Amino acid sequence: MADKKKRRRADSDDDEYTDGHKTLPFKKRLKPDSVILSILSDLTDSIRNSDSANHKTLTLSDLDLSSTCREVSDLDLSSVQDVIEHLVLRITQSILSGSGFSFDVPARGNANQLYVPELDRIVLKDKTSLRPYSNVSTVRKTTVTTRILQLVHQLCIKKIHVTKRDLFYTDVKLFQDQTQSDAVLDDVSCILGCTRSSLNVVAAEKGVVVGRLIFSDNGDMIDCTKMGMGGKAIPPNIDRVGDMQSDALFILLVEKDAAYMRLAEDRFYNRFPCIIVTAKGQPDVATRLFLRKMKMELKLPVLALVDSDPYGLKILSVYGCGSKNMSYDSANLTTPDIKWLGIRPSDLDKYKIPEQCRLPMTEQDIKTGKDLLEEDFVKKNPGWVEELSLMVKTKQKAEIQALSSFGFQYLSEVYLPLKLQQKDWL
Amino acid sequence: MDTDGSSESPVNAKKGRSKTPKKAKDSVLKQKSPAEFFAENKNIAGFDNPGKSLYTTVRELVENSLDSAESISELPVIEVTIEEIGKSKFNSMIGLVDRERVDEALYDDFEPAKAREKRLAKEARNQEIQAKNAALGKKVKDPPATKGIKGRGEASFFRVTCKDNGRGMPHDDIPNMFGRVLSGTKYGLKQTRGKFGLGAKMALIWSKMSTGLPIEILSSMRGQSYISFCRLDIDIHRNIPHIHVHEKRDDKERWHGAEIQVVIEGNWTTYRSKILHYMRQMAVITPYAQFLFKFVSDATDKNVTIRFSRRTNIMPPVPLETKHHPSAVDLLLIKRLIADTSKQNLLQFLQHEFVNIGKPYAERLIGEMGPDFSQKMAVKSLTSQQIVRIHQLFRQAKFDDPSGNCLSPAGEYNLRLGIIKELHPDMVATYSGSPQVFEGHPFIVESGVSLGGKDVKQGLNIFRFANRIPLLFEQGADVVTRTALKRINYKINQTQDKIGVFVSIVSTKIPFKGTGKEYIGDDISEIATAVKVGGLQFPGLITFRASILPDKIIIISGYILFPEGFTILHSPKKLLYIPDATGAIYDVLREMAHQHASKRKRYEGEDAEILRKVSARLITKETLKEKLTQHVEQVDYEMGLEYATQSGVSEEPREAIYIQELEGAHDFIEFQSPAFVFRLFR
Repeated sequence: MADKKKRRRADSDDDEYTDGHKTLPFKKRLKPDSVILSILSDLTDSIRNSDSANHKTLTLSDLDLSSTCREVSDLDLSSVQDVIEHLVLRITQSILSGSGFSFDVPARGNANQLYVPELDRIVLKDKTSLRPYSNVSTVRKTTVTTRILQLVHQLCIKKIHVTKRDLFYTDVKLFQDQTQSDAVLDDVSCILGCTRSSLNVVAAEKGVVVGRLIFSDNGDMIDCTKMGMGGKAIPPNIDRVGDMQSDALFILLVEKDAAYMRLAEDRFYNRFPCIIVTAKGQPDVATRLFLRKMKMELKLPVLALVDSDPYGLKILSVYGCGSKNMSYDSANLTTPDIKWLGIRPSDLDKYKIPEQCRLPMTEQDIKTGKDLLEEDFVKKNPGWVEELSLMVKTKQKAEIQALSSFGFQYLSEVYLPLKLQQKDWL
Repeated sequence: MDTDGSSESPVNAKKGRSKTPKKAKDSVLKQKSPAEFFAENKNIAGFDNPGKSLYTTVRELVENSLDSAESISELPVIEVTIEEIGKSKFNSMIGLVDRERVDEALYDDFEPAKAREKRLAKEARNQEIQAKNAALGKKVKDPPATKGIKGRGEASFFRVTCKDNGRGMPHDDIPNMFGRVLSGTKYGLKQTRGKFGLGAKMALIWSKMSTGLPIEILSSMRGQSYISFCRLDIDIHRNIPHIHVHEKRDDKERWHGAEIQVVIEGNWTTYRSKILHYMRQMAVITPYAQFLFKFVSDATDKNVTIRFSRRTNIMPPVPLETKHHPSAVDLLLIKRLIADTSKQNLLQFLQHEFVNIGKPYAERLIGEMGPDFSQKMAVKSLTSQQIVRIHQLFRQAKFDDPSGNCLSPAGEYNLRLGIIKELHPDMVATYSGSPQVFEGHPFIVESGVSLGGKDVKQGLNIFRFANRIPLLFEQGADVVTRTALKRINYKINQTQDKIGVFVSIVSTKIPFKGTGKEYIGDDISEIATAVKVGGLQFPGLITFRASILPDKIIIISGYILFPEGFTILHSPKKLLYIPDATGAIYDVLREMAHQHASKRKRYEGEDAEILRKVSARLITKETLKEKLTQHVEQVDYEMGLEYATQSGVSEEPREAIYIQELEGAHDFIEFQSPAFVFRLFR
């Protein structure tokens, strides 16, 4: 799959720079690419070995938590239809008997979340709240829920996918704004016990992928090295993705579009065979599903490149342990064992990032940072705790773009290769 | 005679010394007629400034008219016209020729040449800036309206006419009724709007002070064949009427009532809203009256005509004149009653001149007074000491509270009707309290709360009434405002909710605070408690409101709790969503029934039965709707009941409960119980 011509050009570019009079800082420390590549191969191998050794992934039932925790599973369309119909029949009976109706909705609030260290993800506890029609405070939500159920039922019969936006526009007057229908959609997933993707409702495409990956999207083979600079948009419904193949050595998860673009344009994936993924900020469901699928099928290490601020770490945690909002589906959405490559607070000094590129943390940032220090998914990794404590102590943050102060290509030419060479991930 | 001259105010004395030493006049004992006193202290009667005077004049005339019509149980029809009179017209009216100004610099609003230049330059500059702004496409603020330079001499004058269909006045009494301050027909222990015999006279005094024009009265009584016409003014120094014309005219239309016309100085621009508010609130509290309010001026765009039409023929009963309650009398009053009484002995006097003293009780009282008193002793022969003893005993003895029979509250029906008619609220609840007593005077508090409505501003709108007159001024200190703010304010959404609070207090004596009849202080605990308990206790309302605040639903639900029962108001919001919810459920059912029928999918047992009914149209959207509506109503009812029991309402309802229908639909469900019946309107 590797395109020789392209790779050679990248290499020659590299040479030119080294010969030029203007040397990038730390450039000298870089060993030849072949050395770095062998380091990466070792990493990939170790991941694959450990995976095969510890093949069985834990589930809730293994931990004896299935009774106290709630998890949804992928259901096919006809089962979703069955569940909805069953529910509607119960409601009908209830109304006809004169006792109104109500939904038993799993609570998705903060208090109902549990971090399970053995699984390394957040799961939903079994607390539910009753949502009766006859209560003024819940009447609206109950009505919206009924309507969404009906719409999903239609989707099941017609066997089509719609976006969340589509769904919202089918009854704007009732839903009022999209956040409401979106929230209820998650509730409906919980009530029915299926993933949101099984409802055939998808979010608009947000994430993109580029690099040494070939997969089939709805039957079409996609080669992600030939997708130009922008890369391939990650399909919103993961069920039409399959046949993943890759000769990459690792997956590089990038927080920001800007850094992603730099890496894609410099064809970083040709110099060091990798797959580059970004969700442009907080990841959406599709990107998380895609990342998990890649990780599971290709068994590659995942390295993350995020901002050196509490928010970056938060994004990292969403990929890794799941978000609280979607914790009911964390089994399908989380990617275990993501390594924090950069930019880490300790890098600021290590790479002598100039003072003017660092930003002081705001009150809010510091508070978020301190809150994160209390979170279990941070605590489980001593390295992260150390880094985060350093950040809170120095009260400085920096974005990936801070590296551009050494030249736009510093990120792809020096920083990343050096990091990889030093195995500097946590 | 004051020899040392200390009655002179110190300021004057000082002034006198510094300017004209030792020439201060010896103070002379003067007598002042009541008219003079009120002319000098006209703010006591609400004639503080021209604007307020216009308002007070309208108010006094309207209230007199209402009292007059109600006294003969005639449904009031009242026409109020305010006509603006320009200066030249006014001058011609009083026979003054318009004079051109000769010496311009003499006047207050004269503009010297320099100032004029300056002003013109400034205006030109402003215009230039505006033009520039306009050219740049900036949003230009409206140029500040150039204030018309108004000199002191530019007073505006108004002819206020008020015509009613009331009792009218006896021909010979008219001069005294208008030309003598503190003379009146409304003295006595009775609930009336007017009390002091001051209103119309003050209007006349004000007209005399500001325009010098007399008052004109047209009046006719029932069964009279003539109309009395009287033009008069008042001799302020002697407090006697000064009659210009007093004649009888033919009554062709068989009209009875009175028409009063007075020309006064006033200020329409600043008091316009107050006067209109007054009329509107008057319409709320007297829905059985018809008001026509007109403002006429030369500028036709300023003209206003508002008709507040009659909504009911049911009038509150005429208030009865009552006797004094023993605990409400003072020494002077006892002496006066003794002087006036026709009864001979003490026993009869006690028995007949006071309420709540029966014969046995009078005997016991006399026994308690001591050996100096006997039942048969002549009442006129009582000594001052003996009267003091009677007074003391009255203070200490226990008497039954006076009954509220002599009062004429607006009535819950009228109050509710008035609120609905004038405000068109989404929801209204009213309450009528039982009579209470303050210093021997009975009073009744009635109250209402409304939500939403037309022409109601956001937040709390407080409407106060005392003896069925609206109170507009001094709102902040009033007992009603204070109670309402304390009780209701904290949970409503000031920017969204329109809440109307109506409290009407009627009494034989309203304990007004301050000089004007404007507000009732909140230091009278009896009234404050009555207002609180009686009307403004709406925890249920507040809870409901708070629980639905997150949504932007205008129509709301709630129930309002009163000590004697509660009114359930259904949640239009819950009903609002029924079509959506049932529609969605029904759609799924129909789809399933379709599949079931076409054998694409199998359903078992009960499910199949439901689907069969759906196919056979035995279960339709309407069935679901109906069932769900029933359920919602049931739940509302139970919640209301639960709330009521939680709040400790265990008594059976004593007052009639009105459950209103907002749209006139007669669609309701009845819940019967031995103690009461609930009607739940859909």
